[in-house]
Amino acid sequence: MKHTKNIELIIMNSFFRRLLDKLLRRRKKVKIGLYGHPNSGKTTLANAICEDWIGTPLGVISDIPHETRSVYKQEEVVIEKDGYKLYFDIIDTPGVATKVDYKNFLRYGLSEREAKERAKEATKGIIEAIKWLDDVTGVLLVMDSTEDPLTQANITIIGNLEARKIPFLIIANKIDLPESSADRISAVFPQHTVVPISALHKENIEQLYMEMVRKFK
Amino acid sequence: MEGLKMDFLSSKALEDKSSLEKISMIIERVKDGDILVLEGSLTPSEEAELIETTMREIDIENFVGIDIHTLEKDERSFFGFSKKRTVGLTIIGPANVMKTVKKRSNFLSMIAKIGDSGASVH
Repeated sequence: MKHTKNIELIIMNSFFRRLLDKLLRRRKKVKIGLYGHPNSGKTTLANAICEDWIGTPLGVISDIPHETRSVYKQEEVVIEKDGYKLYFDIIDTPGVATKVDYKNFLRYGLSEREAKERAKEATKGIIEAIKWLDDVTGVLLVMDSTEDPLTQANITIIGNLEARKIPFLIIANKIDLPESSADRISAVFPQHTVVPISALHKENIEQLYMEMVRKFK
Repeated sequence: MEGLKMDFLSSKALEDKSSLEKISMIIERVKDGDILVLEGSLTPSEEAELIETTMREIDIENFVGIDIHTLEKDERSFFGFSKKRTVGLTIIGPANVMKTVKKRSNFLSMIAKIGDSGASVH
């Protein structure tokens, strides 16, 4: 009888511990949105994170701008770093731009019909990306470090993140390219944390995971 | 388009307008091919709303979106101890008209396309 009571007590303890773990985990889980210009490497980075911590990539990448034209989501990603665990969902958003001209897609070999269709979908994707700013609890703002970072899209995203008090990291991506300059991004946004990486080659990716745990845990 | 029309709006002209009114006015004029120069800046949420509205208005053939550029200035606090950058001017125009923009500290140079020729604005 006493033995049975003990087992019940153990089961109850275990049940409440699991419940507590679940509640704590749920409280700590964040939704991290990947934002930035088209072709800045958001999906490449989302794939790198998913490959490292889930085992499979998230989305399709290509050289043609606006390849990601709707939001892709990976739930229940867990990063373990320095004894800390960060539970989060990845929200890979379409690139944000102030203009979409179908003629730009023609040079990548798309037919006029395909280019126009892509442009239409891209405009819808940008609206969806902006709407997701209401739901994300953290952001990785991905910038192509070979390009001028002082663009209206970056300024608008940062302004909205600051106004909504959403924590974010600036990712200076493509540091594997000779013309890249992460320092230029740091100089333009000195008040924010800039993490230089190459998402394609996973260069400095461990540093990013450490910064993510620090920023979003 | 026969010429380049530029509208300059003082901060006073905008202060009584709601965000919706400001964005509607900007989109309407930019779709007509005008370039707007605003004194001051839009708020971050107005900028996001402006991008959203622009995306809804893009019709692929005639209106492909907007270009926005800002010219910032240093502003000192009342006692002059601290300095911060604020937006002095905001320039918004149709993306297919605003072609080249060069920006340096306290200087912005823009080349707008009018038909087959180009107009330079500094």
